[in-house]
Amino acid sequence: MSVKAFELVPAVERDLLMGDKARINIECIECCGKHLYLGTNDCFIHHFLLDEVTSSKGKLSYSAQKLLHKYLGLKKPVAELRAASALERLIVLCDGIVFLVDMVTLETVPSAAGGGAKIRGVTAFCINENPVNGDPFCVEMGVLSSKRRTVQIYMVYEDRVQLVKEVSTPEQPCAVSLDGYFLCLALATQYMILNYNTGASQDLFPYNSEDRRPIVKRIGREEFLLAAPGGLGMFANAEGVSQRAPVNWSESVIGAAVCFPYVVALDESFITIHSMLDQQLKQTLSFRDGHILQDFEGKVILASTKAVYVLVPLPLEKQIQDLLASHRVEEALILTEGAQRNIPKDKFQILHKRILQQAGFIQFGQLQFLEAKEHFRKGQLDVRELISLYPLLLPASSSFTRCHPPLHEFADLNHLAQGDQEKVLRCKRFLISYLGEVRSTEVANGCREDVDTALLKLYAEQDHDSLLDLLASENACLLADSVPWLEKYHKYFALGLLYHYNGQDSAALQVWIRVVDGELQDSTRSDLYEYIVDFLCSCANLDLIWKYADWALQKDPTNGVHIFTKRPGSKDQPELNSDDVITYLEKHNQALLLYLEHLVLERRIQKEKFHTHLAVLYLERVLSLISESPKDEEKLTRARERLQALLRESNLYRVQYLLGKTESCEQLLLERATLHGKLEEHDKALHILVHKLRDFPSAEAFCTWASSSRDSAYRQQLFHLLLGVYLDGNQTAAGGGNGDLEMAAVDLLNRHGEVFDAVRVLRMLPEGWSLQLLRPFLGRAVSASMHACRTSQIALGLSHSENLQLLHDRLKERKKPIFVSEKKGCHLCHNTFSEPDVVCLPGGVPVHTHCVAQRVRDSPTKRQLTNSSNHT
Amino acid sequence: MPEMSKMKKPDVKVVLLGDMNVGKTSLLHRYTERKFKDTISTVGGAFYLKQWGPYNISIWDTAGREQFHGLGSMYCRGAAAVILTYDVTNWQSLAELEERFLSLTDTANHDCIYAVVGNKADLTDPKAQLSRDSDVAPEDRTECEEDRTEPEVLSACPTPPASPASLSGVMLHKQVAPEDAAAFYGRILRYKGLDEKSSLPAEKMCFETSAKTGYNVDALFEALFDLVLPSILRKRNENQESPTVDLEECRGTSSKRSRTSCC
Repeated sequence: MSVKAFELVPAVERDLLMGDKARINIECIECCGKHLYLGTNDCFIHHFLLDEVTSSKGKLSYSAQKLLHKYLGLKKPVAELRAASALERLIVLCDGIVFLVDMVTLETVPSAAGGGAKIRGVTAFCINENPVNGDPFCVEMGVLSSKRRTVQIYMVYEDRVQLVKEVSTPEQPCAVSLDGYFLCLALATQYMILNYNTGASQDLFPYNSEDRRPIVKRIGREEFLLAAPGGLGMFANAEGVSQRAPVNWSESVIGAAVCFPYVVALDESFITIHSMLDQQLKQTLSFRDGHILQDFEGKVILASTKAVYVLVPLPLEKQIQDLLASHRVEEALILTEGAQRNIPKDKFQILHKRILQQAGFIQFGQLQFLEAKEHFRKGQLDVRELISLYPLLLPASSSFTRCHPPLHEFADLNHLAQGDQEKVLRCKRFLISYLGEVRSTEVANGCREDVDTALLKLYAEQDHDSLLDLLASENACLLADSVPWLEKYHKYFALGLLYHYNGQDSAALQVWIRVVDGELQDSTRSDLYEYIVDFLCSCANLDLIWKYADWALQKDPTNGVHIFTKRPGSKDQPELNSDDVITYLEKHNQALLLYLEHLVLERRIQKEKFHTHLAVLYLERVLSLISESPKDEEKLTRARERLQALLRESNLYRVQYLLGKTESCEQLLLERATLHGKLEEHDKALHILVHKLRDFPSAEAFCTWASSSRDSAYRQQLFHLLLGVYLDGNQTAAGGGNGDLEMAAVDLLNRHGEVFDAVRVLRMLPEGWSLQLLRPFLGRAVSASMHACRTSQIALGLSHSENLQLLHDRLKERKKPIFVSEKKGCHLCHNTFSEPDVVCLPGGVPVHTHCVAQRVRDSPTKRQLTNSSNHT
Repeated sequence: MPEMSKMKKPDVKVVLLGDMNVGKTSLLHRYTERKFKDTISTVGGAFYLKQWGPYNISIWDTAGREQFHGLGSMYCRGAAAVILTYDVTNWQSLAELEERFLSLTDTANHDCIYAVVGNKADLTDPKAQLSRDSDVAPEDRTECEEDRTEPEVLSACPTPPASPASLSGVMLHKQVAPEDAAAFYGRILRYKGLDEKSSLPAEKMCFETSAKTGYNVDALFEALFDLVLPSILRKRNENQESPTVDLEECRGTSSKRSRTSCC
């Protein structure tokens, strides 16, 4: 529980006051500045000068110097003393009489001529510390008298007292306090608030004044502290409302005062100190024979029957630090925040931040990370304070030094964790999450390098996934500090990323290459080789590509060539010159092939050079496979298929050149046929296919291919050529021939009958062939011919009807008849008509039939236009 | 004496009243701290400042003990809402509300609203054993159950704060039916001289809650806060029209003005 909020310091020792007179007791005290007045039971007033002495160690003590004492001559105890310093008077209550004495001489002030300076029959009085009356040279006083149920308001002047108001109360009042117009009264059975100006009253709560001595203590503007049943200290304002929760005293409290933020109360043997902020008991001081507790201008003074003490509050900051030292974070913060109004704003903010930071570190030390984080955030902690706890995390170049005085007691993380590795680990995890959160906020302003570098180190050390994210995005990691750290934890891939981020792509590549080559161990990426290829692929620096592509191609030409083939064609990237690439790839055969394939087949670049080069490479590959032994037939087939496909589909390569290269090889007849086909040397091609290869399907396919983009006449010619080759071959091989050419010819006709001119074919065919053999061909030929005939008949009929229709329409359009008579002349020969048969020219002009015939003969192209019709 | 540090000035006051051991402090705890924990008998009173949107609502938790009874009317002074709390397993706790506590509310605002709340519903009502507040974690609840069983075994108190019934699954006899609470609410209105038709209906103002499971607790407080909003707004309006010049405010505006007019 205990906070050390106050210290009890002796002010007036027993010896100084009464020497060895055992019967003398202190009855009341008053303190006004340095002047301390004591009233005793033997009717004396003692006047002391109280000096504060601060020792070299900062410890406060008091030295009291006795100035005067004075016997008042009433033989009764001095019950109450109050100073009216502006008047230089002490108001004294003794033997039920209130009167004035001089503050310096302690002489009783004689009554002035105009009025008395004494009030009789008084049980208690109080001074209004917040008077409504503005006169500085009078003091307002509330007086309770022993006989009447009233409260009287007096004005006290230098030499007289004047009754200004008297208000009656429902019961006999026994304690009073005054603020503005408000009287706070303890009656016999209850407390109440009474406005002496309006007479309005407000009951507060019941209380039995016979059981316990009531306490009515003004603690601030229109707010009072009252002793309530059950040992409570209740707060009430002038409206009769409690705005603070009560504090829980003992049952026998004698006196109470507020010394913000504490409520100090005195009972027979203890001083108890409660916080008004959380109502908790904060400190208990043992104090025997306690008698009086009063506060004077913020100074709390206590008296036993024999001696006087001052309750000195410790500086707020010290209290807070004490609380923090005992790890009572919440209380420290409540106290700090509660003190806001008592401290200048700028000073408070600094204090508050610091307390929050310290609180955060305490909770951090207790591994209460959530709370710690919140306090760090609110306290705007320089995040480097936290980082600096972790050995080696701050970059060597960091200018940071820990704040002084230190915010926490830890030397470093090891000190904090006391060798508990689990703790260390949790702290590290916390820092990871904390830095991750703050690095993009203003908390990291001005120390971004420190934050990011620390984070990088933690990520590397903890094998954290986010290491790569950190390096791949915007960051401020310091190269010099991070490199050795990443090397230490074998994070070479990350190291490369760091180099890359810092514009050192070459260094990055070197590290990665060493990892791929097995010189360095880092399993971050199993596909690091592909990553490098991708990296080079999108690399803007061409020199780097030329430098490192070689390594990549040697490692894996198929993937390595992606550097060149998969290069994204964006604007900000310099283009690679294809010729340069080809030259570069000269020694990487396979890669070169892939690159050319990329150019020719994918990008469809129409350049003779590439096409020829690719064809030659294909050819060379085929040749080399052929020369191998044993032959890998499967590979060879695939290689030839590619070659053939290129030869067939490309029109750009140098055919003659390739033909020359294939000439030497007897196995590449198909390819040669294709090449001949390209040169339109179809007879040669077919010769090869039919006679050398005897590959009739290929011969047919050749015809189809070679005529694929030509008209049907060309196609027909080719097929006829093939048929001719078949039939000629059959004749020359007659006798020895096994008839397969003949069969090929028959198949050709039967399969592709529609291409042939049937009449020509029939003329070419040998006489001896049976009709049955050619039946499909002939059948199709006849039906095709029939079909053509009928189709044209239909077309004719349709045209005819269309013509009639148009004619009909035209007549309808013109409507008027054409008149022909013997008097009319023909427009062509200008002779008259002698017979009704005429021809009508467009425009309805009748002419002689023979004249039109004559004209048509002269201009044959117009034959179509004229139509004859008869009109009579 | 220096000016007392003022806490955030509450806009409106809500007071929890009721006999001891009905669970006033537990209700407030459940609402403010989202958990059910052991409480000790409240001494005097305590209060909690709840931030409700832009408003500050002070909730006063009063002591149910007879000893502190006299303080009740002071706590109720100027209250905008009073929560009259009883224990559903204890008929006497409802009767006490009428006999002792209702008169304390005389000092409350004229437009004060009254809620009648039967706490410990989890002891009699299976549905109240499941929390309606989504944020109550299951493990939290089991913890609570342990917490709660331990005091009453030893307690000789006539109104135990809880009973072991909830653990064994045996329901306690419900001594106060919702109709009884509603009837009491009707009598409150009559006591206040309010017309039943123009006042808030009983079904809206009578609640059965369980501070232990959190059943209906948020619903209770939030319904009340919504209902006191007009009261807050009126109070704010009155303050605006107050003839008192707020120096703080003036200083604030004048400094602002000077800043804008500068250069």
